[in-house]
Amino acid sequence: MSLANIASAKAQPSLLARLFARQELALFVCLVLVLVFFSVTVENFFSVRNMTNVLGQASLALTAGIGCAIVFISGEVDISIGSLLATIALPLIIIMNDTNSLLLGVGGALLFGLIIGVVNGYLTAYAGINSLIVTLGTMFIMRGGVYLYTGQRAIPDNTSLDSFIALSDGRLFNVIPYSAVIAIVLLAAFGYMMQHRPFGRQIYAVGGNQEVARLAGYDVRRVKFICFIISALLATVAGIILAARVGSAQHTAGLNFEFQVVAATVLGGVSLAGGIGSLTGMALGVLILQFLSNGLRGLGLPTEWQLVITGMIIIAAVAFDEAKRRRANGG
Amino acid sequence: MSELTHASAPKRFIGGQLLGSSQLVLGVILAVLCIAISIAAPQFYSEANIIAILRQCALVLIVASGMTMLIITAEVDLSVGASLAFVGCIGMAVLNSTHSLALGMLAALAFAGGVGLFNGLVVTRLRVNSLIATIGTMMMLQGGVYLFTREAVQNHNQLASFTDLGAGYAGPVPVPVILAALIFVVAYVTLRFTTLGRYLYAVGANEKAVRLSGIRSERLKLFAFIVTGLCVGVAGMILSSLMNAGQPTAGRGFELTVIAAVILGGTSLLGGRGSLFGTLLGVLVLKVIDNGIIILGWNQDLQMVVPGIVIILATYLDIIRNRANVR
Repeated sequence: MSLANIASAKAQPSLLARLFARQELALFVCLVLVLVFFSVTVENFFSVRNMTNVLGQASLALTAGIGCAIVFISGEVDISIGSLLATIALPLIIIMNDTNSLLLGVGGALLFGLIIGVVNGYLTAYAGINSLIVTLGTMFIMRGGVYLYTGQRAIPDNTSLDSFIALSDGRLFNVIPYSAVIAIVLLAAFGYMMQHRPFGRQIYAVGGNQEVARLAGYDVRRVKFICFIISALLATVAGIILAARVGSAQHTAGLNFEFQVVAATVLGGVSLAGGIGSLTGMALGVLILQFLSNGLRGLGLPTEWQLVITGMIIIAAVAFDEAKRRRANGG
Repeated sequence: MSELTHASAPKRFIGGQLLGSSQLVLGVILAVLCIAISIAAPQFYSEANIIAILRQCALVLIVASGMTMLIITAEVDLSVGASLAFVGCIGMAVLNSTHSLALGMLAALAFAGGVGLFNGLVVTRLRVNSLIATIGTMMMLQGGVYLFTREAVQNHNQLASFTDLGAGYAGPVPVPVILAALIFVVAYVTLRFTTLGRYLYAVGANEKAVRLSGIRSERLKLFAFIVTGLCVGVAGMILSSLMNAGQPTAGRGFELTVIAAVILGGTSLLGGRGSLFGTLLGVLVLKVIDNGIIILGWNQDLQMVVPGIVIILATYLDIIRNRANVR
C-alpha cells in the first residue's frame, strides 16, 4: 500500500500532465459527438447561422466561466455571479439613460463589479471567511438590493444606442456575434495568463497546496483577493452583454446562472478542490452544455427535458471523470 | 501552536461548554434583535406573533435538522428546494386519488427519501462532489416537476387531517411546530448521545481515519443524505397543506435559506464541527429578522438583504472570537 503510494507520488507530475491532456481530449470528443448527433437528427443544426448563434448564447457563460474557473483553481468558490449580473445592469442602464454614453455606462458597471470583487475577495482572503458563505451572503444582499431599488420592475434602456444594440445583435464580418468575440478574446488572454504567466502559476500553486505556496514565498491572500476581483469583473462583462441582449436591467437577470456556470466549469474538469483544471476545459464544458440544449430544443423537446438531461449529464460526466482519475491513480 | 491551544483549553471550560463555539455570538445576536424589534414594535411579543414566528421556523428547522447532519459529514444537498416542490405535488396528487393521508405521506416520504438515496449513492459510490451532484439533481427535479404537472395540483380531497398538518393546532401550538420539535429532538439526541451521531462527526472530521478504524463511512454519509431527504418529505407535505395545493414553483431558494441557517448556527462546511442547537438558533435568527421586517413595516425585499449581512457578520464575529481565544 505505502510502496504503491510512493511509486504513484513519484510518477505524478508526468501522469497528471498526461491526464490533463486526455481530459481535454475527452471533452473535445464529447463535443464532437454532440455536434455529430444533432447534425444528423436536427435540420439546420449544423449551419453557420445556428453555430454562431449558439456561440453568441454561450458567450455569457464563457465569460463568467473564466472567472469561476480561476476562483475554483485558487481553491475557493464564487456563487455570487448570478446576482452580480442583475446588480451591475443597474448602474449600466441608469448611467446610459442619463448620459447617453455607452462608455460611461460600462465604466460605471465595471466600477460596481470591481467593488463587489473587492468585497468578496477581502472577506475571503483577508478576513478569512469561507468563500461559499461570503458569496452566498453577497448573493442574497445583491439580489435583495436589486429588488429593493427597482421595486421588482425592469428598468428599460431608453437610449437605443447603436453601439449597445450591436453588443447583442452585431456580428463581426457579419458572421460571429460581437459577444462571442469578446468571450473568445478574454478566454485567450486569461488562458495565456493561466498557462504562461507567473501569476497563473501562483494561482495553481495556491489552489494546489496553500501551505506549500506560502512557504514558496507567494502571497496567498493577495492571489486569492485578485482572483475574486477577476471573477467579479468578468461576470460584469457577462452582465453587460446580458443587459444589451434584453435591452434593460432585469431584476430577475441571472437567476440560477451561478449554478449553470459552476456545472459547466466542473464538467470541464476544473476541480472544486483547487489547483486542477484549465480554461480550455471550462470552455469545452460550456460549449457542450450549450450545444446540447440547442440541439434538444431543435428536436422539439420542451425546456423541462433539457433541464433533466443536463442534470443527468453533469452527474454522469463528473462520475466518469472521477472513475477515470481513480483508475489512473491506481485506487 | 499546540502549546497555544493547550493554553486556551481551560478558558473554553470557563466560557461554558454548553454555549460552545459560535452559539454564544448567535445567542447575543438573537437577544439584541428581539429587544430592538420589541422596542420599536411592542406587538412583537404578542402570542399571535410568537406563534407566527414559530410556524415560519418549522419548515426550515425540519429540513435544517437533516441538513445539519449532512453538513457535519462534510457533504451538502442543494436539491432540497426543488425536491420540496416536487414532493408537495406528488403528495397532493396521491391524496387526491386515494383520499388517504397515510398513503399521501408515504408517497411523499418515499419520493423524498428516494431523492436522498439517489444523491447519497451518486456521492458515495460514484464519488461525485456533493455540491455538483446535488446541483445536477436540482436541475433534474426542477425539470421533472414541470413534466409531472404544469399547474399547481389543487386540493380535491378536503381531508381534515391533511389540512391540520399545516394549519391545525394542538392546544395553542401549531401542528407543524410540534412536528418540527419532534424531528429536532430526535436528530439532536442522535447527534449528541448516540454512537451513530459520534460517527457522523468523525466522518466529517477525518474520513480516512474513520475508514481505517473499520467503520463504513459511505454508509454514514448515505444515511445522512436519506435523513435529509425524509425531512424534505415531511416539510413538503406541510407546505402543500399550508398552501392548500402542490405548487411546482414552491421552494425556490429554499435550499439557500436552509444552508444559511445551518452555517449561521456554526456548523462548518468542512465537516466534523457543528451542532443542532446552533442550527435552531440560526433558524430563529433568520425568521425573527423576517418577522421584524414585516411588523416594522419595512420593505419586504430587505428579507433577502439582512440575512445576507447577518450570515457574513456572524461568521466573521466567530472567527474573531476564535482568534482571541487562541491568543
